[in-house]
Amino acid sequence: MSIFIISSDAREIEESIAEKVTEAMGYKLLDRGILAEVAAKYQIEPDKLNEALKTTPSLFNKLSSRQWRHHLACLEAEVLETLMADNIVCQGLAAHLYVTGVSHAMKVRVLSGNRKGIQGVAEKKGISLQKAEKWRASELLHRKKWSLAAYNYDETDLTRYDLVINLDQIDPVEAVKTITGAAEYRKFQVMTYSLKCLSDLALAAKVNGVLLQSMADVKVQARDGSVVVLTKASNRQKRKKIETIKALAGGVEGVTYVEVHVKKNILGEMD
Amino acid sequence: MSIITISRGSSSMGKAVAEQVAQKLNYQLISREVLLDASNRFNVPEIKLEKAIHDAPGILERYRHGKQSYVAYIRSALVERVIGDNVVYHGLAGHLLLKGIPHVLKVRINADLERRVAIVRERDKIPAQDARTRILEDDKQRRKWTQSLYGQDPWDTSLYDLTVCIDKLSIENAVDYICQAANTEGFKSSEKNIQKAKDMSVACRVKASLVEEFPNNSVKCEYGNVLIYMKGKDQMTGKLTKKLNHIRESISGIHHLETHVGIEPPPDAV
Repeated sequence: MSIFIISSDAREIEESIAEKVTEAMGYKLLDRGILAEVAAKYQIEPDKLNEALKTTPSLFNKLSSRQWRHHLACLEAEVLETLMADNIVCQGLAAHLYVTGVSHAMKVRVLSGNRKGIQGVAEKKGISLQKAEKWRASELLHRKKWSLAAYNYDETDLTRYDLVINLDQIDPVEAVKTITGAAEYRKFQVMTYSLKCLSDLALAAKVNGVLLQSMADVKVQARDGSVVVLTKASNRQKRKKIETIKALAGGVEGVTYVEVHVKKNILGEMD
Repeated sequence: MSIITISRGSSSMGKAVAEQVAQKLNYQLISREVLLDASNRFNVPEIKLEKAIHDAPGILERYRHGKQSYVAYIRSALVERVIGDNVVYHGLAGHLLLKGIPHVLKVRINADLERRVAIVRERDKIPAQDARTRILEDDKQRRKWTQSLYGQDPWDTSLYDLTVCIDKLSIENAVDYICQAANTEGFKSSEKNIQKAKDMSVACRVKASLVEEFPNNSVKCEYGNVLIYMKGKDQMTGKLTKKLNHIRESISGIHHLETHVGIEPPPDAV
């Protein structure tokens, strides 16, 4: 009765380990297959949603910063909603970065290992080991930057995970056995409180998605249906912004109360 | 049949985990004994060795190579201890000092900062802020130490085979994970792995003999054949020849000893 969130420094490993854990546990697999569903539900172009998971906004990018955040918030809301069902293995959706404080979710990082990882890249791309090492280092740096930009968390920081397994010397089959062994641990059992934490996260992501459709600079927290929104506005815009946020957030299913905290936007005053 | 090193930040319950792993697998548990061995063998006060392995070298020390010598002594004593297999080591820097021995399971135990603060506060009866400062300073020293001597970050996941966060998992869960991993094929001691550990032990002993007078040399050993990689300025002087002759006579397990000048040492040289 738990959630496994698998992440890795190599996509193939992430997919393969998640599949094996799903098979061994008889759980449901939640992966990038959900993207089409999210795109249809929130009327986002599937390509753009896919791109939001890979790139950060820049001048040369198709996505603006607000759009990028909106797409990620929609995906986050849907993933968190699905995770409420329990007995799920999740991979490829960056859930390790936004599922926080949920005790029945076990976050596992599987490392391809320096030796094996570089060899794998060299074989797959048909390049020398030296080039593969450079490519892998730049890919890891890119993922680190993405995770910091998207969720302000460094995904290479090992303290973020419950378990990190390096496949340099540990066989993937053994790694799967180690991961699945945790399902029976008492601390990973679903509790009313951990379920409530998950539902609060889902509600906050849903509200965030709705607000990001029309405004940037919002941070949302939710607790038992009460939502706190942090934003920035000039003195002139303050009242109108609070009203808009209350109207938009109040319209989200499950929201019972909305509180808005506005920080003064000095640049906005100069308009 | 393997060697397990358990690394952790201060007050992260790594000691408790190590004790239980050793008990469950019926392995020998070592930590401070390594410093005592090194202190006795190389005639260096234990306090100096402890400081060398704990604190990062200062600016002057980087030029004097004192810390480098002490670390070489500790490494030699540690390799000597683990060579017999079935050992759990939970002292500082085990994952780096035993680098090159293939069947070493390198484990990292992590704990949430707040939990560590609570442990130190209760143990030392000090305010939370002081406990936090002490832990952060300790972590900073570890980082600097590893960076200055090995050019790596101790928090880098790729240095470990298994990293367990003790917050959500209990000590018993961590012990289960480690024992399970230790019994996998990759960490079993084969004849080849044992030979590598023996070679490493010879190389470490040679390095420890040389390091005080010739700190920039690197040593590698293959089946008892010792290769010493020297920097240009340390070319064969009378002093070095005398030293090498002494090494040949005093260190057992050396079949052949040769020196290379100006050649880049292999990455697994000590």
